[in-house]
Amino acid sequence: MAIPDIYKQGIASGWKVVDAATLVSPTTLEADVAIVGSGAGGGVAAEILSLAGLKVVLLEEGGLFTSDSFRDMDEARAYRDLYQEASARATSDGAISVMQGRSVGGSTTVNWSSSFRTPPQTLQHWASQHEVVGHGVDDMAPWFARMEERLGIAPWAVPPNANNNVLKAGCDKLGWESHVIPRNVKGCWDSGYCGFGCPVNAKQSMLVSTIPVALRNGATLVHRLRVLRLEHADGRITAAVGEALRADGRTPSGVAVTVRARHVVAAGGAINTPALLLRSRLPDPHQLLGKRTLIHPVVVSLALMPDRIDPYYGAPQSIASDQFQWTAGATGPMGYKLEVPPITPGLGSAVLNLFGDALRREVAAMPNTNALLALLRDGFVPQSEGGSVRLADDGSPVLDYELSDYVWDGARRAYLSMAEAQFAAGARQVRPAHLDAVYYSSWSEARKAIAELPMKKFRASLFTAHLMGGCAMSENPARGVVDSRGRHHQIANLSILDGSVFPTSIGANPQHSIYALTAQNATALAAELRR
Amino acid sequence: MDDLPRQILHPAPIDPARLRQPGLGRRDVLKVGVGFTAALGVAGLLGGCGEPARSPAKGLDFLRAGDVELFSALAPAVVSDLAALDSAQRAARVGEVLRNLDATFAAMGQASQAEVRKLLDLLGVAPLRYVLTGVGAWREASLDELQAFLARWRGSRFATLNAGGNVLVKLIAASYYVLPVSWPASGYPGPLQRVYQAVNS
Repeated sequence: MAIPDIYKQGIASGWKVVDAATLVSPTTLEADVAIVGSGAGGGVAAEILSLAGLKVVLLEEGGLFTSDSFRDMDEARAYRDLYQEASARATSDGAISVMQGRSVGGSTTVNWSSSFRTPPQTLQHWASQHEVVGHGVDDMAPWFARMEERLGIAPWAVPPNANNNVLKAGCDKLGWESHVIPRNVKGCWDSGYCGFGCPVNAKQSMLVSTIPVALRNGATLVHRLRVLRLEHADGRITAAVGEALRADGRTPSGVAVTVRARHVVAAGGAINTPALLLRSRLPDPHQLLGKRTLIHPVVVSLALMPDRIDPYYGAPQSIASDQFQWTAGATGPMGYKLEVPPITPGLGSAVLNLFGDALRREVAAMPNTNALLALLRDGFVPQSEGGSVRLADDGSPVLDYELSDYVWDGARRAYLSMAEAQFAAGARQVRPAHLDAVYYSSWSEARKAIAELPMKKFRASLFTAHLMGGCAMSENPARGVVDSRGRHHQIANLSILDGSVFPTSIGANPQHSIYALTAQNATALAAELRR
Repeated sequence: MDDLPRQILHPAPIDPARLRQPGLGRRDVLKVGVGFTAALGVAGLLGGCGEPARSPAKGLDFLRAGDVELFSALAPAVVSDLAALDSAQRAARVGEVLRNLDATFAAMGQASQAEVRKLLDLLGVAPLRYVLTGVGAWREASLDELQAFLARWRGSRFATLNAGGNVLVKLIAASYYVLPVSWPASGYPGPLQRVYQAVNS
């Protein structure tokens, strides 16, 4: 059964989709709204603004890759085409791997589909500590409901795969809280290939949901276009200036593209949006731009299970635990959410971080290997201020992120929780993803060893797939780059509608938080622009 | 992706006498290890070690001829299955790993590329390589020597060496195990058949 390619059909029916690699001369586009970035924020904004009758131009640095190119279900192709820096993006010192999308649809094209509402504790913390208004639990409820309806977000109704069932079994055995993860899917085939681009268009990424609606309503999509800067004068953006990239998706072709619009929406995510504003030298009177970048630092624990669990197959994330997330409310010692990552041969072999016979042995055990991950909830206390984004000489973004003792304490407790859960679920052996750890054969052995692990960069393997902050929202211009509606405090016709506006991390996978907040703020923006 | 932290820009000077001692102990190697950039600076003074080529090797976008030698030697030290192949098969398979590595490096941002280049240039200069890794010519190194180098760097108390050892190991492993030819070794049965067949029929 062939899966119809939405874009082949759409382009044949007249959608305005421009591959900037094909442009041969300088090009100027006019629009009501230029949106820079086509991920969770840009996609939702494009749909809402074009349905409101506004002329939208959506600009994306990555390429347009659609279901026809996902049919190989191949890991190497996915990393090359769909991830920032071919999946090798990292913090400036290389200590934290950054898994972030880079194609039409942004990270929504490659994420594992987990779609949580922003936890109430987080929303309350923003209101009480960051002078955020209009995004309380009751304010947001209808927007979450609307995006759940729009994107098919619902708790996964199929039993978890064996990999996720390890977390559920461990939590059940220990009497810990766990819950079924809501996923943004319609007609999901339960294959497990969300991270390589959904081959059946079931995952409701921006690629298959909001962007097609925007295109049907007259929006223009320009991909393989790197927006270099926003030109500004007298407190207003006058143009977005970009360079077309060649078909390789990274080398500039030399063709300049200029977009003139009444309003500009920055939606490149928490690394690329601050970098764009920094390159543009926009006013930043309180030195807030690119600061407080929150990443949910991730640590991982590996387990050898007695039976084959085929951790690459089936919905990649379906069970999570908040047992250790809010033990002292929003603040106090670092909280963390426990989840399960899929294990695929390429990513899995890198996480093993071994060589020679040890690597061969553990790779051969992959069908029986489970991993748990802990998302550490950063940005809620003064000891966890996150990282910062700055620019390399060529203007590309660089992320610095240091881990304080507060964060390392959370990471060690997370190693302990994960090992305890894995043994409770029947694991034969458990090994934290840490250079000084080996496989431990019992919970008591693991507990002793983990207590002694040196908590240092490069010894502990660290990851992030959740980029937040750097353009925080606050009603107080001394504390935020934008106000609670995403409007830039100094530039009248610039809004930021993406995860970079979060004042803290979310405490759960952030895509649904971006969807709902953007839906709310883009709806208000549409009303304002139509006036 | 790991790369090298900033402290290497302000290293302690290296005692040239040290560089003349063959078979340095672990402690000596570590002492020298803090001075990557200074080491590169003095490389020219040591004689015999020409500047590495400045342009990518034929058919590649990032890796230079010296880097190709390095990764061709290290790949079988990381992935035992490569060491077990005959030389023709190994060359072909390593070629695929190199292409994956090259594409990854070529896609990195400027800052990461600069750190990777520093590491590879350092490992490309013969006398320094010997001091830092215990490895003479990459082509002639034994698996034991190569694995001892990786173990030493990753076991070091210097974050810089940990970073270098990690990035070499992780990128080689991932570049090999994404190849379909490796799937029997990882037990991965390949794309889920009921879906793969449906979408490709």
